[in-house]
Amino acid sequence: MKSMAIVIRDDSYDKILTPLVFAYLASAEQTQVDILFVNWAVKALTVEGAASLCMDGRHAADEAMVRENVARAGLPNDVYEILKALKASGCVNFYACSLAGAIFGVNEGNLIPEAEGIVGASWFLNDKAAKAEHCQYF
Amino acid sequence: MRAITATSILDTSGKCCPMPIVETNKAMKAMGLGDILEIIATDTGTQKDIPSWCERTGQTLLSMAEENGVLHYHVRKDR
Repeated sequence: MKSMAIVIRDDSYDKILTPLVFAYLASAEQTQVDILFVNWAVKALTVEGAASLCMDGRHAADEAMVRENVARAGLPNDVYEILKALKASGCVNFYACSLAGAIFGVNEGNLIPEAEGIVGASWFLNDKAAKAEHCQYF
Repeated sequence: MRAITATSILDTSGKCCPMPIVETNKAMKAMGLGDILEIIATDTGTQKDIPSWCERTGQTLLSMAEENGVLHYHVRKDR
């Protein structure tokens, strides 16, 4: 697989781990990974938003256990640290959906430097998702 | 049969997917062609992940063995 596109919508800490782990694995095979953050998940592309990610609903009480086990598995248990590690791989690009940014308060001023920028979903779907060998939605 | 002599050893004991693969990839990048990396792992997922990673990245899996729940792999860097 040479390229993969991922769209992340869910912003709860536990649910955002899976696409980030898949990106980590793909980057270890030198697969180019492009990730679009939409809806609430766009907040993960800000320092404050990444730090505020938590577990929701019926799993909320298990958050400390999950974070502890994530660290034990060898992953950073902080989402921003994972994003930085992915960027450092040289194979993973992050994009913020412009509509999501406008709705949920993410702009060029608070976007993390590891992100490529704020883009239209149409561009991502046509230039990244449609051209990727594999596409995933979370 | 001659024992395989590793150039470097990577111990991922206790760590789980994706870290054994991520760390294997990182370790291999620092090695030269023909070098052999011994990977020690306790994540049983590596039994399929490491052969698959080798196939996809063009490296050669020389051996795979399990002893008391600890997995040992020898991978030669060919690319």
